[in-house]
Amino acid sequence: MVFDQLMGNLIQGLILGGIYGMMTMGLSLIFGVLKVVNVGHGQFIMVGAFTALWMFNSLGANPVIAIPVAFLIGMLLGFLCYYSFVKRLLKGPELASLLATFSVGVILEETVKFIFGSEFRGYNWALGKIRIPFTVLPYTKLIAFSGSILIAVLLFLWFKKTRAGTALRSVVEDSEGARVCGVNVDWQYALSFSIGLGLTVASGVLLTMFIPVGINPNMGGQYTLKAFVIAVLGGLSSPYGAFFGGIVFGLIENGSYTLFALLPHVEPFALTRFLSFVILLVILLIRPTGLIRTR
Amino acid sequence: MPLLKLENVTKRFGGLVAVDDVSLEVKHGEIIAIVGPNGAGKTTLFNVINGVFLSDGGKITFEGKDITHLPAFKRAPLGIGRTFQIPRPFGSASVRENIAIGGMFGAHGHRMNVDASMEMADHYIDLIGLKGHSDKPAGGLTPTEKKLVEIARALAMKPKLLLMDEAMAGMNPKDIDHMVELIKQIRKTEKIAIVSMVEHIMRAVAGLAERVMVMHQGAKLVDEPTKEALSDPRVIEVYLGRPPEGSVADR
Amino acid sequence: MKNPSTKYLPLAPVLAGYLFLFLVGENMEGKWQLIAMLAFYCALGQAFNLFMGMTGYVDFGYVAFLGVGTYGMAIAISRLSDKGLGLWLLVIGLLMAIGMATLLSLAVGAVALRLRGAYFAIATIGVNEGFRYLVEGARLWGGSEGIIFTAQLNEAFGREFANVLATYWADVALFVIAVFAAFLTLFYMRSKIGYALTALREDEDAAKVMGINVTKYKIIAFITSASLAGMIGAVAWALKLTYVFPPDVFEIHYTVEAIIIVLLGGAGTLLGPIVGGLIYGLSKYYLAVILPGFQLLIFAPIIIIIIVLFPEGTVGVLKKRIQGTFWAKIII
Repeated sequence: MVFDQLMGNLIQGLILGGIYGMMTMGLSLIFGVLKVVNVGHGQFIMVGAFTALWMFNSLGANPVIAIPVAFLIGMLLGFLCYYSFVKRLLKGPELASLLATFSVGVILEETVKFIFGSEFRGYNWALGKIRIPFTVLPYTKLIAFSGSILIAVLLFLWFKKTRAGTALRSVVEDSEGARVCGVNVDWQYALSFSIGLGLTVASGVLLTMFIPVGINPNMGGQYTLKAFVIAVLGGLSSPYGAFFGGIVFGLIENGSYTLFALLPHVEPFALTRFLSFVILLVILLIRPTGLIRTR
Repeated sequence: MPLLKLENVTKRFGGLVAVDDVSLEVKHGEIIAIVGPNGAGKTTLFNVINGVFLSDGGKITFEGKDITHLPAFKRAPLGIGRTFQIPRPFGSASVRENIAIGGMFGAHGHRMNVDASMEMADHYIDLIGLKGHSDKPAGGLTPTEKKLVEIARALAMKPKLLLMDEAMAGMNPKDIDHMVELIKQIRKTEKIAIVSMVEHIMRAVAGLAERVMVMHQGAKLVDEPTKEALSDPRVIEVYLGRPPEGSVADR
Repeated sequence: MKNPSTKYLPLAPVLAGYLFLFLVGENMEGKWQLIAMLAFYCALGQAFNLFMGMTGYVDFGYVAFLGVGTYGMAIAISRLSDKGLGLWLLVIGLLMAIGMATLLSLAVGAVALRLRGAYFAIATIGVNEGFRYLVEGARLWGGSEGIIFTAQLNEAFGREFANVLATYWADVALFVIAVFAAFLTLFYMRSKIGYALTALREDEDAAKVMGINVTKYKIIAFITSASLAGMIGAVAWALKLTYVFPPDVFEIHYTVEAIIIVLLGGAGTLLGPIVGGLIYGLSKYYLAVILPGFQLLIFAPIIIIIIVLFPEGTVGVLKKRIQGTFWAKIII
């Protein structure tokens, strides 16, 4: 019985992990290219969540349509932030960009709170479920998972096959060399930053497909921590590492929840959250550059 | 006993061998010049001696003590000082404070409190000729002034060995001569050995160093007294890029 | 310059400021709440400045230290109130607060302080949440329900005096902590510790080459800053409110405020956190009348502007102007 439950939870964890992975790709992309840690990461996810919420409840729009809209919002925010201050802080002390991205997160959270209020909201996109061994999967979660994989594959192809993607890779490898070859490094930085944020906001939509309730302005913070754990798991600079890290994290999160639920005198949900933090510290202690090698 | 001894020291970065099986000795009070083109491994060699990087192979001994695995901050108080190619003063601190910091944590640091370090700093400010600038934030100085502060700060550490990285880069001939005189004076009054890294300033090498070491692609090519080095075709090749045979000097 | 009295001259404006604040609170009708809030922000700023200002590292999980300090006092009062200890009960509570904050800082520091800049930030961002979920998850110290110890405080001191403690003496204690934090800051600044911190903040690798054991000094600053936070939590949250509730005391909001205060006033300066605390506290108080809950939305963009244009903050900019004059010896 426990085994069944564990397997069921693990499969759910795998699916959720795919979304977690996609959620973290933007973070790793931005760090890989610009060496900037987006401390406001979770708040961008929250913006995506609210995009899906608003489009569904006010426009009756299918959340799948919200994905590209959210991506565009992310890109716009990205260009805005890059040209107004991120660009200037690239050469300064690390502290500066950390605090700036953190402040952007605060601005986003407070603005959304102002517009939408602090209550918990959700939307109801019921499509039915499908029975698979050990558990039941709502179609929405399946769509979210497929969406995550699709976006990850698209990103991979973009990097490998397009001129723009190749230019970006060259900047990561050797920015001076790229500059000499005529690559506009500044534009590449702006582009990476914006694509990274676009991915992050879009992931918020996918997240709500998986968890369509509990959407509120403060929800971002917990995802920042999760994303950091995943990014560090997968190697902070690698978007693909992030994806696999997400899956691993999803499995650990759900698996540990099942196990904690067996223990008396504990709150399994809270302990799972504590565990993710411990994992982060352990990885940082033994191998800060990530456990998964994707070079 | 030599002051500094490197035996078969190697440092790799991934596939690149930056320092290749280098062995050398520095005696107390010597002045040595290390020359070589960009990428020859000179800065990495300094970083390895300093402890900024830990070597991948070989042994480093200072005054008989094995320092191969010692972290950088433990090597400094033993008596190893360092200036950087592009000066790195602590910008928001004053000139005096910068130099005093050298004193506080250097070889005599354990017996110097803050006030004593500040007094020592004043002495060095006079030495390098920057009196009047004592309270200025180091970040606002000219590049040459910053270099002087670098040197003074390193001297305040009371090193027995001073590693000077391209101390004269970007200077005009007059300043170079001043610097050469300063270094000679330092050697006399402070009784320290100086390993100076110069890329292509013959003036400095000829006027200053007793021995010349040539590095090329991480390895040591030449190591001999200056007089011989100046007419050694291998040294000339490094400086002028001409092959030793069929050279202009032959005609 | 070697005269000890001039060494500690910069404390003069600090003491004057706090004294003025205290007198205003004592003598002006109905202003004590505001003054207490200002004292809290100044103290918080000074405690946070000791680490972030002096090392240049940001601890995003800082509020965790306030939180465990609150628990330290709460546990002491709720468990020992019936032992007839009188005021020693509070001393024990304070010591427990400091002890717990120190332990947590050692645990976090052991991992985080080995890491540079960005990795340090990542390591610390979950500390407050992580600890909160530990308390809730393992049902420590009341778990998610927290501890309410109003009754125990009444039992230990009698209802009337307990009330005075919570509404007056807790705030006075904040002033004492603030002055103590200022004294510590200046003491560090004038000693080798301060110079080591300046060096590692400016250029950590060059500092190592100069013989500075950067990890040791980071730890010193980290523990000092954490202990002060523990003390602040113990008096401003535990003693004052007589209850502790995990979601409240591990709320990242307070770290945001601490960051704003230090940056606004001038990171790494002595007077900076006080100036920042006053500006932020007053703005929040008066904004609450017209636009309640808006202060973060207003200050967050200000922070970005400060980082880009005036990274040295108010006092930092002032210091540049008065350089070379008599005032430069007093305002640091």
